[in-house]
Amino acid sequence: MNGSGAAVGAAGNITSGAAAAGVRYARIDADILRTMRPPGIAYLGALALALGGLTFGAYAFSVQWRAGLGVAGYQHPIYWGVYITNFVFWVGIAHSGTLISAVLFLFRARWRTAVARASEAMTVFAVMTAGLFPIIHIGRPWFFYWLIPYPNERQLWVNFRSPLVWDVFAISTYLTVSAMFLYLGLIPDIAAARDRTTDWRKPIYRVLALGWDGSTRRWRHYTALYAFFAALATPLVVSVHSVVSWDFAMSILPGWHSTIFAPYFVAGAIFSGLAMVITLLIPLRRLLGLEEYITIHHFENLAKMIILTSMIVGYAYMVEFFIAWYSGSPYEQAAFYDRMFGQYRLFTWAMLTCNVIVPLFLFAKRIRTSLPALFVISLLVNVGMWLERFVIIVTSLSHDFNPANWAGIYTPTWVEGAITLGAFSMFFFLFLVFVKNFPAVSITEMKEASDLG
Amino acid sequence: MSPLTETVGRRTFLRMLGSAGPAAAAAACSPVPPERIIPYVIPPDDVVPGIATWYASVCGECPTGCGVLVKTREGRAIKVEGNPRHPVNRGGLCVRGQSSLQGLYDPDRYREPLRRREGEGRDGLAPVSWDDAETEVAERIAALRAEGRGDRIAVVTPALTGTLDALIDRWCQAVGGARRLRYETYAWEAMRAANDALFGRAAAPYHDFSRAELVVSFSADFLETWLASVAHARDYADARRPDGSTTGARARAVHFEPRLSLTASNADEWVAIEPGSEGAIAAAMVQVIVAEGRAQVEDEAGLERIAGVVADWTPQTAAERSGVPAERIAELARAFSDPVAGAGRTLAAGGAVAASGSDGAEAAAAVALLNYVAGNIGATVRMAPETMWDGAATYADMTSLAEAMHAGEIDLLVLHQVNPVHTMPAAADFAGAMEQVPLAVAIASSPNDTTARADIVLPAHTPLESWGDHVLATGVEGLMQPAMRPLYDTRHTGDIFLAVGRAALADAQADATAAETGDNEVPATLPDGEFYDVLRERWRALQAARIAAEAAAAPDEVEAPDDAEAPEPQDFEDFWADAIRRGGLWWLVEPEPVSLNDSFDGLDFGALARDAAGTGNGRALTLLPYPSLHFYDGRAANRPWLQEIPDPILKATWGSWIELHPETAAAIGAEENQLVTVESDHGRVEATVLLNLHLHAGAAAMPIGQGQTAAGRYASGRGANPLALLDPVPAGASRGLRFAGTRVDLTPRELHRPVHRLQGTFDQHGRGLARAVTQQALDAGDIPHEEEHLTLNPPLVHPEHRWGMAIDIDACTGCNACVAACYAENNVPTLGADQMQWRRAMSWLRIDRFVEPTADPGATGATGGETRFLPMLCQHCDHAPCETVCPTYATYHTDEGLNAQVYNRCVGTRYCANNCPYKVRRFNWFQAEFPDPLPLQLNPDVTPRSAGVMEKCTFCVQRIAEGRDLARDEDRPMQDGDVTPACAQTCPAQAIVFGDLNDPNSRVSQLSADARGYHALSETNTRPGVTYLRKVLR
Repeated sequence: MNGSGAAVGAAGNITSGAAAAGVRYARIDADILRTMRPPGIAYLGALALALGGLTFGAYAFSVQWRAGLGVAGYQHPIYWGVYITNFVFWVGIAHSGTLISAVLFLFRARWRTAVARASEAMTVFAVMTAGLFPIIHIGRPWFFYWLIPYPNERQLWVNFRSPLVWDVFAISTYLTVSAMFLYLGLIPDIAAARDRTTDWRKPIYRVLALGWDGSTRRWRHYTALYAFFAALATPLVVSVHSVVSWDFAMSILPGWHSTIFAPYFVAGAIFSGLAMVITLLIPLRRLLGLEEYITIHHFENLAKMIILTSMIVGYAYMVEFFIAWYSGSPYEQAAFYDRMFGQYRLFTWAMLTCNVIVPLFLFAKRIRTSLPALFVISLLVNVGMWLERFVIIVTSLSHDFNPANWAGIYTPTWVEGAITLGAFSMFFFLFLVFVKNFPAVSITEMKEASDLG
Repeated sequence: MSPLTETVGRRTFLRMLGSAGPAAAAAACSPVPPERIIPYVIPPDDVVPGIATWYASVCGECPTGCGVLVKTREGRAIKVEGNPRHPVNRGGLCVRGQSSLQGLYDPDRYREPLRRREGEGRDGLAPVSWDDAETEVAERIAALRAEGRGDRIAVVTPALTGTLDALIDRWCQAVGGARRLRYETYAWEAMRAANDALFGRAAAPYHDFSRAELVVSFSADFLETWLASVAHARDYADARRPDGSTTGARARAVHFEPRLSLTASNADEWVAIEPGSEGAIAAAMVQVIVAEGRAQVEDEAGLERIAGVVADWTPQTAAERSGVPAERIAELARAFSDPVAGAGRTLAAGGAVAASGSDGAEAAAAVALLNYVAGNIGATVRMAPETMWDGAATYADMTSLAEAMHAGEIDLLVLHQVNPVHTMPAAADFAGAMEQVPLAVAIASSPNDTTARADIVLPAHTPLESWGDHVLATGVEGLMQPAMRPLYDTRHTGDIFLAVGRAALADAQADATAAETGDNEVPATLPDGEFYDVLRERWRALQAARIAAEAAAAPDEVEAPDDAEAPEPQDFEDFWADAIRRGGLWWLVEPEPVSLNDSFDGLDFGALARDAAGTGNGRALTLLPYPSLHFYDGRAANRPWLQEIPDPILKATWGSWIELHPETAAAIGAEENQLVTVESDHGRVEATVLLNLHLHAGAAAMPIGQGQTAAGRYASGRGANPLALLDPVPAGASRGLRFAGTRVDLTPRELHRPVHRLQGTFDQHGRGLARAVTQQALDAGDIPHEEEHLTLNPPLVHPEHRWGMAIDIDACTGCNACVAACYAENNVPTLGADQMQWRRAMSWLRIDRFVEPTADPGATGATGGETRFLPMLCQHCDHAPCETVCPTYATYHTDEGLNAQVYNRCVGTRYCANNCPYKVRRFNWFQAEFPDPLPLQLNPDVTPRSAGVMEKCTFCVQRIAEGRDLARDEDRPMQDGDVTPACAQTCPAQAIVFGDLNDPNSRVSQLSADARGYHALSETNTRPGVTYLRKVLR
């Protein structure tokens, strides 16, 4: 009823509305494109920091490449550690982008507009970061392409029974689709940038804009394609992290071998991705002066979704422990007992606190509308979700079937620390470069949203 | 004016240009000198590239001298295996024997003669030529001899036997009566002194465990270092086959020791006793047997004498002394004297290092008397007419040598392959004594703490490069032949003695004053020829003696073992070739009948009671130094395999330690891996604490062998030497070193020096990995049957072979021999001490040790435990979890049932290792390093792996290929026994059987179907190719 009234009103005031829209549009253009002006000292400082971290990580990787994986803290029988933790963590981070931009788009959740672009970019960069970790993790990274089925004269083929091969497909598909989705949404905005830029970036925008001229025909194709991609990306939200979870669930290891892993990991991924969006956007809107576009309302909605996914994750934890007890399997029981009370218990408790207890504070409106509180909580959730992956991977491996193998505490080395830092740095570096060169908020969609009030 | 400048014409110039130019260019381009590759134009007869040549020889790692077969490829030794025809080890070989290759290829070996140079300090040994070195020694000898002071020369060798021993004796006489000592750290002085006093035979007898129905061990580590341990392991396993299939003895074993040693772990009952109470228990058992009239010997007078000496030791007094209930002692005594199968079918083992306190001889005598009254002497305890131990020096001989050296009575000291600086107590000060000797010459292959203090080092061949022979006892003549040419500029010990001796004597004879030495009654002659000729001379005599002996004996009395059907060749060359091929000569020898002496002079049975508390009574703990299974007395410490393969009990690597019961440690405020200062009245060392539940709470145990300072890169500065703490004064009756009974105080330091363990818990948490069944249940057929788990997958088809293995964990003693064999066979690298903190040992085969809680073994504070050793290797599962998860098919299943690993295809995701429930896959964290010349040991049939790939047990696939080739060459199908993996081959207890499961008649098929058979972690339904046979609880 409200909607139809607005439509009638809009139709009745078509000329004055258009004029007003023109002014509004111009302001949106100006506000958002202003973010792409030459950077200030804070931005450059952040960029230098990120680049430094990335370089340090690259150096650490070169050490590992030359010496062998022994420079990492692996021990028998903990053959997976921080790298796989990082991999799953970053894949998880990648999830909320697609959720916000595609799923919420299909559900017509209009509040997504302001945060969609940033989260889509975050998705792409997170998948790129995640994709590096399997390569960093393997013993002979120079042969990483052997994981990809390609025709060769020796008729070697990959083993399609291995979840790691599924992973290769899931991640590459996800990277392709999310990158295209991001790019597709960017096209009208790049055209806007092309029209207003005069510096060295103009030819690049010209190519990237693909000759966008704002004609109705282009808009028609654009909106159809965008909806189509949203529909294509939506199942990936579920499938990609399901496949990642099968890296663990398809094994026979107590603590990994569990049927709930797919939904559990998907919920966790979205949970961590939403937290990362908040973590990124709070400083970003300050840095780029987008307070008017990314408002407390958006953060509140993200916080509500965090509550939901946190509860799903908490439920999954309960189910895991319950099933371990209910299964009657001594291996399962021991694995989960060890997780709670073994040598990694502090990690487990920290994880439970961060992922289950802390998000409960968001039930209070005062907290979820307070940016500092939200920022702290989102950071804690990120820490918690990183720990969750660490706990699942390391505690299960350290306490498996044969007690003779039960290991001492796994302690990552400086190499693993540096590479992890390098990964975060790379992610932030890419993100910073992106927000300075592309509209961090969708101009098109902001205009659309402003039309709708 | 060079002729060149004068005569170079155009043609000459061009010719020179043509040849010199490219040569100069080639030389200039090459940063390294060009290698010369020379093809076999005339190939040596015995080298076919790709085909192994085997040489029979004798192991030189301990005095036992097991027979070995050395596998060589392209002229280098790559593997050592037990000689199946040798009567002592019968194909088995221990962990030290397996490691002898690393003695040969020791990177720190002496490669050339060395001479100490003035002003170059303790390590100032500089290369010198053989001529110079030998001349200097010869001149010194000649001078001493000329002065008639040949007795100021001392020669210390190990307990050598055979030709070399005789040669050195002759040399000692020839140079004018040099002192000669056959020094062994473990010379069994207590046992020899006891047998001498009781039976007039200072012998270390052969103990036949195969016929014993009840074995009672008094701290004798007979499966580790006590006498012929490999033979004992075989006999013990044979005697204990639960179905009685081998010897029918179905032996039970009881072990008295304050610590749960490897041997104690293999007994059916471990009784923790007060340290030093072994003799009291044995004496009480004798007392019970004699007093109750159960003695199995017809020797009234002797029994009366025995009753006299053990009269004080009733079970009650022994109980007070030892902590073992009196009734238990009495019961055991009755069982011991009256076995089911009749007299002489039990065996008591004593006189070991762990029981060698000041009452060592008396304790050993009590054990010998126990055997005597039970009728075991001549049955299970047999004394050959002569044994290699007869001439061995006692520790007291060494201390008097040290005193003589201190007193300046020794002018020339020749040390051959001994290390008294390390193996004698620090307070005996052999190092200080060496400084008083004007010239100390070390003949050695590898450096040690003693050779580092020598003035001249003459590098000797290792046993694998040497000719020689070894006489363990009458009738066991091992023949040692070189398996390869010497690696370095080393010489045979015998040839060194010959060369030096001849040079010295030649000078003496040339000297006109030689006539003045004519009062020396000893003929100053040395044999002609090289050592090889001397060796052949002895064997020529041996042949003659054998022919004479056989002619004397009635033919039906002679029964040679194994190859009796081979006719004795008459021609010496045939005899010699046959002996070399066989690895020696052996014949059956009737045990010497022995009778009890009329008096037990030299023994003071009162010592059993007196020395209860040992020396240093004010101190808190009793020190238990024990011989190391891996390093013996330290001679094998510089071998990375032995350092990295974990100790069988504590599973600790690369180091030594002091073991404490957790409560004892807590009481002194020390924790695992904390450094403590260990102080006795005689010395002080620092050692790392490792906790061991299965240890007397008032004791502290330390392995012997580490704590060396100059023994090469792997051994130096590692661990602590407990011998440094011991009382330097020899024990009363035995004249041996008092290993036991030293009291120590421990002071924790605020410092941790970890000794990394590869196994964190010995509790299997009820998981049924190492299972057991009681003998009663087994006899009743009441063994829980393992249910076949369902599967949705179609069964795997193995059209031709399905290779499989059966491992009898009842027979397995946990001795690590298989582990070392696997390292040697499969080029398994070692990574060093540091990497062990991450447990990155690469062993394809490891031995998991699990201890099941039992009642505490006596009132000593020690925690009870029943040990199970579980050799854990790739199970070659039919439903292998590792195979499905590998993304690149680097691991897959062959149609012969092998779980194969393709190193070249592996990218190193390590998912296979995660998914392996047994965790037997090993990842190459780094590129493996083999310092020169260790790469020469690598098996050319096995690919060395690069960094970043996974590896694991292959069931010795190269041996399967070899067996298949052999069968094809002989145009026949493969048959059982064609393939034996390295682990199964070396197992002294024959616990591992390999073969084709498709063949229902193969041994492995039959064993796999045994009632005791089970699969480890069968709940995971992996359907392994390895079947374990349950341990039997007797």
